[in-house]
Amino acid sequence: MSALAANVSALCRPRPAGRNILTLAHRELREATRSKRFILYSVAFAALGLAVSLVSASVGGGSGLAGFGRTTAGLINIVLLVVPLMALSAGAGAIASDRERGMLAYLLAQPVSRLEVLLGKYLGQAGALAASIALGLGSCAVILAWKGAATSPSSVAWLAGLSLALALGMLSLGMLVSVLSRKVSVAVGIAVFLWLALVFISDLGLMAGAVALRLRIEELFALSLLNPLQVFKMWSLHAAEATLDVLGPAGLYATEEYGQRLHLIFGACMLAWIVVPLAAAGAVFSRRSPT
Amino acid sequence: MRHRAHSFLLVVAAAAPAALGQGVEHTPPPTPAIAAATEVGPLGRRLAAARSGDVIEVGPGIYRERLRIGKPVTLVARPGAVLDGGGTTDIVEITAPGVTLRGFTIRNTGINLDRENAGIRVLAPRATIEDNVLEDILFGIDLREAPDSIVRRNTIGGKALDIARRGDGLRLWRSDRTVVEGNVIHNGRDAIVWYSKGVVVRGNVARQSRYGLHLMFSDGVTITDNEFTGNSVGIYLMYSTGVRIEGNRLLRNRGPSGYGIGLKETDQYSVRDNLIAGNRAGVYIDGSPFTDRMPGEFTGNTIACNDAGMIFLPSARGNELTGNNFIDNIDQVTVAGRGSLEANRFWKGDRGNYWSDYTGYDRNGDGIGDFVHESQTLFENLMEREPSLRLFLFSPAQQAVEFVGRALPAVRPEPKFTDEVPLMRPVPITAGGAGTGHATGRLAAGGAGLLALAGIVLAFGRSGVPREGVTS
Repeated sequence: MSALAANVSALCRPRPAGRNILTLAHRELREATRSKRFILYSVAFAALGLAVSLVSASVGGGSGLAGFGRTTAGLINIVLLVVPLMALSAGAGAIASDRERGMLAYLLAQPVSRLEVLLGKYLGQAGALAASIALGLGSCAVILAWKGAATSPSSVAWLAGLSLALALGMLSLGMLVSVLSRKVSVAVGIAVFLWLALVFISDLGLMAGAVALRLRIEELFALSLLNPLQVFKMWSLHAAEATLDVLGPAGLYATEEYGQRLHLIFGACMLAWIVVPLAAAGAVFSRRSPT
Repeated sequence: MRHRAHSFLLVVAAAAPAALGQGVEHTPPPTPAIAAATEVGPLGRRLAAARSGDVIEVGPGIYRERLRIGKPVTLVARPGAVLDGGGTTDIVEITAPGVTLRGFTIRNTGINLDRENAGIRVLAPRATIEDNVLEDILFGIDLREAPDSIVRRNTIGGKALDIARRGDGLRLWRSDRTVVEGNVIHNGRDAIVWYSKGVVVRGNVARQSRYGLHLMFSDGVTITDNEFTGNSVGIYLMYSTGVRIEGNRLLRNRGPSGYGIGLKETDQYSVRDNLIAGNRAGVYIDGSPFTDRMPGEFTGNTIACNDAGMIFLPSARGNELTGNNFIDNIDQVTVAGRGSLEANRFWKGDRGNYWSDYTGYDRNGDGIGDFVHESQTLFENLMEREPSLRLFLFSPAQQAVEFVGRALPAVRPEPKFTDEVPLMRPVPITAGGAGTGHATGRLAAGGAGLLALAGIVLAFGRSGVPREGVTS
């Protein structure tokens, strides 16, 4: 707490905006990486990833079949499950917890703009998420290498980068929830609901729609681009295999229709998920009372 | 027959002075002498002077001529002997029975698909084509009505053309009892065996082609110990009877309709001890076996990590699978469209198969699972009905659907097939390892890099307040 006070008093002198953001980000990173939540999620993510890696590395014993295994697909699955939850709840707690503790009013009484506070918190949380992802996937890569699995290094690198992009998008969404909520419990509740919606409900709905409405594959592909989790999944597969044919007719359609332009399409979707909720959060935050 | 007349003309041409050669058909278009192969060059003249049964040794050098071998001789190239087609024509044409061609480098045919420009064309029986290297050719070795021939240890590399403009690396047409052994074929269109009985295809490698091996109307063919990697289709059998496919490696054949092994209206076949991995579909069965004289036999194969292990068309009946490994295919066995697998058997007597998704256990330790293996996952069932749902593979929603399918008997699909005596352990893989390239050093370095990154962020996060903050 004393560190925080010293930290905040550092803001008292007029300084360029970037400095303030960095100081706030540093503070946020400290808090985030010391929280139980961070440790819990990091350990869970790493453990699940390691389990998948070990199982897929042992396919077919020592026959070299592991190279054909679906390590990347298994890791994608884990990322889809854990990273959005991690990032959404991190974002949801970021502003609301300070507000609940009365810290937000204190912070905003310092000569910093609200946007600086928001961005500082965003950066700090993003750093913690990056550490968590790097820790999990890094240990998976080491284990896979040790087990002699022929997973390509570049696909792991892509997976790490895209996981971070997904985390940033979900963090933006979580921050939006956070600036809108008065209480942490409410914010986290909404975040968990959003996680459910993105991970399960939207996909199941789209599946039902595809069957019931007999959606054409181009419509199905376009609709799936609305879900950042699907974008992450398709982008990771595309980066690893250079084709989406494993995803059946819709994947083949996307590969043949767009080819390498898929990178641009997926990138634009992901960027929108990062920028739009964060901008909305900024707009709301600048008008709201800090208490 | 056109070929007979042709070969007669060729014999005459080979014996006649060079000028007479102009009368033979397939005269190459007039092109600059530097690039084009001449009709009769130094090798042609030596051939003309040779007698049947002679062994002609060819020294190193680049021979830019079309070689027409119209008498039973043996041509042996010393290292460095190159036959160059100049990019316009066929190169070697064999019209006499019993010719041997050994050790040449043959390169640079024309690219005329209508004329089927070939590196080596054989139009007579009992040819032996061995240890040649064919590079940059449209068609590689083309046997037409050349029974009892041997094609051995040649390397055949196609032209860097779009697949539709390439020719076949190897083609056997009406060439019974030919042995194709130890060849390497890459970047071709297809390797074809059509209308040829009793052919043996052994120990060859086909890569980056369309059909690794395409068999049609060819009975009694044996296909053993070959490797088919990265083609659109590995082995495709049509309308053939009595084919043995044993000990082959079929890896990563992933065309839009790519299969490791495809069987269309094929009869009395046995598929044994093959390694079938990483293909879009491991085995595809359409209307096979064609009659009920013998069950289609699948034994000892390892079918692993394919998008679909086996695809049966609803018409497929009478296949018997015992002692195979089904490992980590996204769909282990599927029926295309809405059919049933009832007419095929997935166990016999006390011998079933190994299924990596088997969930039972073996209490008495006899190596056979105590519970029946039933394939009935809801998501797989949905994908068969609605293939576009594959888009949701690898997502948690897929697992949710499967969980619902397990939890609620009301929505559980009928089992597609049952294996009453599933194996607890995989059968040994005999077709050699999958031999995938390893980059574990770089992978480890990448992982260490990520860990270091995490360490830096954490260290920074836990470091004290910036100095300037404390002092101010």
